[in-house]
Amino acid sequence: MNVIEIKNVTKDYGDFKLENISFEVPEGSVCGFIGQNGAGKTTTIKLILDVINADTGEIFVFGQNTKNDSASLRENIGVVFDEMGFHEFMTGKDINIMMKNIYKNWDEKAFFDFLKRFSLPAKKPCGSFSRGMRMKLQIAVALSHNAKLLVMDEPTSGLDPIVRNEMLQIFREYVLEEDHTILLSSHITGDLEKLADEVVFINGGKIVLAGNKDDIMEKHGLLKCKKDKLKDIRESFIVHAQPGTYGVEVLVNDRKECVRLYPGMVIEQASLEDIMLFYVSNRCKCAGHI
Amino acid sequence: MKGLMIKDLMCLRKQMILFAYTVAGVLVLSVMFVLSARFGNIADANQTMMTENNLSDIDIKNLSTLSLILFMLLPIAMVSDVTAIFRMDGKAGFGAVSSTLPLSANKRVMARYLTVFIMFGIGVGVDIVISFVLSRLTNIISFADFFGIIISAASLMCIYGALVIVFCFLFGYGKEDYAIVVSWAVILITAMLANIKKVKLIFASVKAGDSDSLDFFSEFINFIKYKYFVLFFISIIVMTASYFVSVKIAEKKRSVV
Repeated sequence: MNVIEIKNVTKDYGDFKLENISFEVPEGSVCGFIGQNGAGKTTTIKLILDVINADTGEIFVFGQNTKNDSASLRENIGVVFDEMGFHEFMTGKDINIMMKNIYKNWDEKAFFDFLKRFSLPAKKPCGSFSRGMRMKLQIAVALSHNAKLLVMDEPTSGLDPIVRNEMLQIFREYVLEEDHTILLSSHITGDLEKLADEVVFINGGKIVLAGNKDDIMEKHGLLKCKKDKLKDIRESFIVHAQPGTYGVEVLVNDRKECVRLYPGMVIEQASLEDIMLFYVSNRCKCAGHI
Repeated sequence: MKGLMIKDLMCLRKQMILFAYTVAGVLVLSVMFVLSARFGNIADANQTMMTENNLSDIDIKNLSTLSLILFMLLPIAMVSDVTAIFRMDGKAGFGAVSSTLPLSANKRVMARYLTVFIMFGIGVGVDIVISFVLSRLTNIISFADFFGIIISAASLMCIYGALVIVFCFLFGYGKEDYAIVVSWAVILITAMLANIKKVKLIFASVKAGDSDSLDFFSEFINFIKYKYFVLFFISIIVMTASYFVSVKIAEKKRSVV
């Protein structure tokens, strides 16, 4: 079953357009939503949460069209933004009072347990919290109403590696339960490599890649060769080529086939970051070749 | 919905402390005023005005009532500044959080209006207590007349509150000052247009330097004392219209509340 299904969604802001995007997030998975700043990640998340209206297309969450009753759907969705959003004077206790009167399934005990686990003082105004503490507070709120889906927009950006790692651990624990799903938008691909099962790559308002992370990484390769050898590579394999340390680096979209066809060339497995960078460069240059 | 109201009331915590001090100040000042109007310097001044300025007993009473109305307006005016909630929500970026809560736009708007009603309720309650105390100390105005003034004041502030909420939703976060100015402008222009003949007469009498303008004050005081239900019904109509318009705006601009 897919927890999120986006079908041919378009949203036009004039200066930016999400063009006919479609992808699915299967239940029980961690889906990494990657793309550079301004690629359309936040807009897509807002569409999923029904914060903004799509011009065309349909969005289903837990099998229900978000147009029908998005408010009740949100009962099962935990949301974490890159900025906290709570008033600076509010303490953990204040937030608990507010949320227990909003969410039907609010678990007071779980919330205070999370605060304790994250070493967040319950009586201190959250305005005095560091960025890491603010993110943890949001996560504590998102995890305290038995949400089945966690939607996070750049939760790890601007955090130090230790706090980031701590947060990834929390997300791992969350998806241990089979019916728990995460959609995690980030441009820090290293985090997603560690955590994600699925990857959706958006660039300039278009979905460039979507599917199983391991399959995508397995399929793509980083081929390194001299510039004059580039012409030997079949054009359909090349996503983009750019100058490298010893010649050119080429992102190929069928690593196994390239290994078979070009045995003399070095072809390494591409990281998510490589894949993202080369696809973005390809779009910028359009020509495809150097 | 209750959670959002609690949050809104938390936002107004500081304002409530200021409100408590204002109420205490208003109570002390108004008690001093009525006692002075009865036994002290204000009573002497009134007597002088009656003998030297040809003012009648009714004129003097009306002038004193006008002063008391200003005292009565203060507590209600204090609690009617709902823009504080919008300002604080905007500063915190709470719109992003609230738009992801399991509450429809309808309920989120309703929460804001109910908070405003609670605040007005507090203002009216405090005014009733103050007016009860004052009516026991003076013969200027009875408790029944005070009640009319309170309802009129509350209705006027309700109309203002209803307009300011709509304009805050419409203009978005960070533009609360515009919402205040536009709301008062709408109220003043509407009131002047509805009474255009009287307004012309006031200007004419002031220009001519005669004291007929006092009659208009008397008329105004009598209106808010005895015809408070007119303002009350207008406020209900404006509040209802404001609520539906706000819901429409919130449905369109979903992260606005």
